[in-house]
This record gives sequence, structure tokens and C-alpha cells, in this order.
Amino acid sequence: MTARIMMIDDDPDFVAGIRAILEKAGYNVDAAYNPKEGFQALQSGIYDLLLLDIMMGRGAEGIALARKIRKDPKLRAMPVLIITGIREQIAFLFPGQAVHPNFVDVDELVEKPVEPNLLLEKVSALLKASEEKKPQPQ
Amino acid sequence: MESKSRILLIDDEEVVIDSCSQILAGGPYEIASASDGTAGLRLVEEFHPDLVFVDLKMPGISGFEVIEKIRVLDPTVVMVVITGFATVSSAVEAMKKGAYDFLPKPFMPEEFRLITHRSLEKRKLTLETIALRRDKEMLREHFAHIVSHELKAPLGAVQQNLFALEFELSDSLTEAQMEIMQRLKARIEDMLKLINSWLRMIAVDMDKLKDGFAPISIALPLSKARESLETLAAKKNIEPIVSIPEAPCLVNGDEISLSEVFVNLLGNAIKYSREGGRVTLEAEGGGDEVVISIKDNGIGIPPEDLPHIFDGFYRGKEAQTAAEGLGIGLAVCRQIIEAHNGSIAVESELGKGSTFVIRLPAVKPGANRIADPEAAGMAIS
Repeated sequence: MTARIMMIDDDPDFVAGIRAILEKAGYNVDAAYNPKEGFQALQSGIYDLLLLDIMMGRGAEGIALARKIRKDPKLRAMPVLIITGIREQIAFLFPGQAVHPNFVDVDELVEKPVEPNLLLEKVSALLKASEEKKPQPQ
Repeated sequence: MESKSRILLIDDEEVVIDSCSQILAGGPYEIASASDGTAGLRLVEEFHPDLVFVDLKMPGISGFEVIEKIRVLDPTVVMVVITGFATVSSAVEAMKKGAYDFLPKPFMPEEFRLITHRSLEKRKLTLETIALRRDKEMLREHFAHIVSHELKAPLGAVQQNLFALEFELSDSLTEAQMEIMQRLKARIEDMLKLINSWLRMIAVDMDKLKDGFAPISIALPLSKARESLETLAAKKNIEPIVSIPEAPCLVNGDEISLSEVFVNLLGNAIKYSREGGRVTLEAEGGGDEVVISIKDNGIGIPPEDLPHIFDGFYRGKEAQTAAEGLGIGLAVCRQIIEAHNGSIAVESELGKGSTFVIRLPAVKPGANRIADPEAAGMAIS
């Protein structure tokens, strides 16, 4: 079964660069360019994974969206891969340490830009982890 | 068009005020006067003078007091003391209290004009300095934002699409085309790294850092650094030799930024070591200082680079070919260590290795319940 991926990022060019890699690897990718539309699209419940940007609109709107997802009983099990350029902006963020913001039950963080191999590795690992967490396949 | 400079004359002798006003008449000045200190101080608040002439000997509150109060009201106001010959020593005293200059009575019109001119120049420079300082702070605050949004994000998008192109075309690109692709990616990666270094440099707000200082054991950031570099060390077949005293060595500081310093230095020691090289990490306490040294037997630093390595935006010739990002990292280390009232120094011999030594003021055990950083600072001084 082909996994369906939702990407929410306000930079359409960046989205294109991610989408092309994922589509070539056989994933189905939809995109929304702001958190509001993205959250609406997620309500359909058809997505297996969310790729989420942090700095959108007026600030860290991605974080607010991640919190909303965490509170949503239907969506909270969906794995989230945070793709962001924010890391370098945060003073004294621990260098070299893996960042697991744990906004939702299953998440990971990579920095923009993402090498294709790293992207595919994280995507497949997250999909696998969330599959294993499910009590039984639907 | 420049606005007129505002000059306030405070003197109980009407003749002095009249003659001074006359001397300046016709110039680009707005003049106000008061015959005693109390009225003068009121005018300072209402008239907002650039320059105030104060007579030291007046009935009511003295010239000294007037100077002290003006200094509190607005420290940028330039003050000149008018005084009789007999009281030159008191004029000196007034200058210690904040007056810019003094004018002995009696004076020639030309002297008065000259001192007015000089004092207004001083006022202009003071205001310019303040404006520049404010601009610098604004720039610092906005720079990170501008750089990340206007430069970093578009470059990131370009790089992402290059990644995608290469990934999509991997089967059909010729070797020459692949080569072009690699060059494109490498150039953009360099630019992104540079931007990240700028951001890192800008993001260090030392004053904010000091607000969060608390007594911590130096072992904490040291072991964090060691842990986070395990993978890198293993890759180069290096097992750092660590020696940290059993008894806690307390320093007053910020754990995360100290960790960053040690990650940086230990990371450099590993990066600039040869395969299987020897890296040691040592901490010593007990006295007034906690001394941390990080030593490697790697490529070393050329003597001509040594004086500059903590300056920022500087990377030695050897390091340029060896690995990335030394320049900003060490400058940030120095900033962080200096914010902790400590020092950082380096000894190095080309081809034989380098030793970085950090000294931080020690906090005596038992003083670790001090929450107020200022009080803690006093306790360790």
C-alpha cells in the first residue's frame, strides 16, 4: 500500500524539492501552504505521515499546529517529521544532540535542506514506527 | 536643516547672563536662563537643553548639586562650570561630578564662543554614540531574522530542489553533468554554512545568558560534551581520556552554553586529530579556580594563526582544508567563557597538537543555594 504523506510548509519551492524526492520513491504527497489549510486537510484522516515546517506566517505557527494535532484524538497517533530551518536561530540549542521535540507521540526533526537519503530514511522509519504502535492494522 | 542648539545659563549674576546671551546672539542657538539652581533644574526638564552653563557659587542650592541633579535627569546633557579664579580646584571637583569643562571668570567673548562650540560638539558626539549603540542592538536583533528569512530560506529551497533534481535524474545524468551538480551543491552548502555561522554569532546574547547563571558542577557539561561526541570520536577511532575529580567542582554559570563550549573544543580536538589520535579532557578544582584542559596530538595550529583564532570569522589555513567551521566556534567559546568571568587560552605546535585551557572562578561548596547571580558573583569574587 502506498503511504499518503501530507506536507505543510509555506515555501512552495521548498515543498516542490521534497515532494519530487518522495514521489520518485513512490509516496503519495499532498501539500498545504499554511497551517489552517493543512489542518483542514488532515481532518480527512487519510494521511499516514505529516511533514511539518515550524516557522510559518508570523512565527512558530508549526508548533501551535503540532500541539493542536497532539490534542486531536483522531490525529495524535499520526507520525510527524518536522522539517525546519529554525535550529540555527535558537541560541544555545545543544549542538550535536538529537532533537526530539516530542510534540506528538511519534516525531522526528531534520534540518532544511534535507538530503534525499536522510529524508527517505526518516520517512520510512516513522511510518514503520507508527505501524508498529497500532494495535491492529485497519 | 539642523535644529537650533538649546543652551541654558544658570547664574545669579544678571550681568553674566546678559553678556553670555549677547555673545551668542545671532548664532544658531536658543537660549534660556535661570538665576538660581532650583529654577535652573526646572528649566532642564522643560527646556531640554543640549548644553548648560552653571555658576558654582549661587545662593540656594549650589552649582555642585545642580550638576549632580542634571546628571541624574539626563546624563547626555553637557555641563560647563563657570567659576572665579579662586575656585579652580572646585571646578576640578565639578568635573569629577560630571561637568565637561570649566570656564574661569572673567572670560573673553571668544573664549566663551569656543567653549560653547566645543561643548555642543561633545553633545552631538554623545547623542550619536547613543544612537549608534541603539542601532547596533536593533541590527543584532533583526539581523538573525533577516538573514534566516531572506537568505537562508531561499538558499535552502534551492538546495532542496538541487537534491530533488539529482535524485530524479540520477540514472540519466552524464558524469560531467553529475560533476556540475556536485559543484552547485557544494557552493550552496558553503553559503548555508556561512549564514548559519553568522546566525550563531548573532544569537549569543551574553547579558541574557548571565541572567540564568546558577552554581553547577563542571562535570555536567563536560560529560554532556563527551556523550554528544561519541559517534564522531568512534568514527576516527579515538577514545578521549577523561579525568574529572570526584568532588564536585562548582562554577557559577549556564550549563547549556558551557556544554556548547566543551562540545566545540572537544569536537575540534577530535576533528583535527589523526586516525586513532590521543585526546584528553581534564578538569581540576579545589582552589579558587576550576581549570579545564582539552588536549590533542593532532595537526596543531600554525604560530601565525594562533593570535587570531578567538577573533571570529577567522579560520586558519590548515583548518580550511582539514574541516569546517573552526572560526566562529572559537569566538563563541571565548564570548561564553568571558561571560562566565573566565578565560580561555591555547598552546599549540604545528604537527604536534593543541591544548586549550579554560579557567573559571570556582564556587565554594555550600554557596550553591545562592539564587541571585549578582550575589553569587560577589560570593566568589
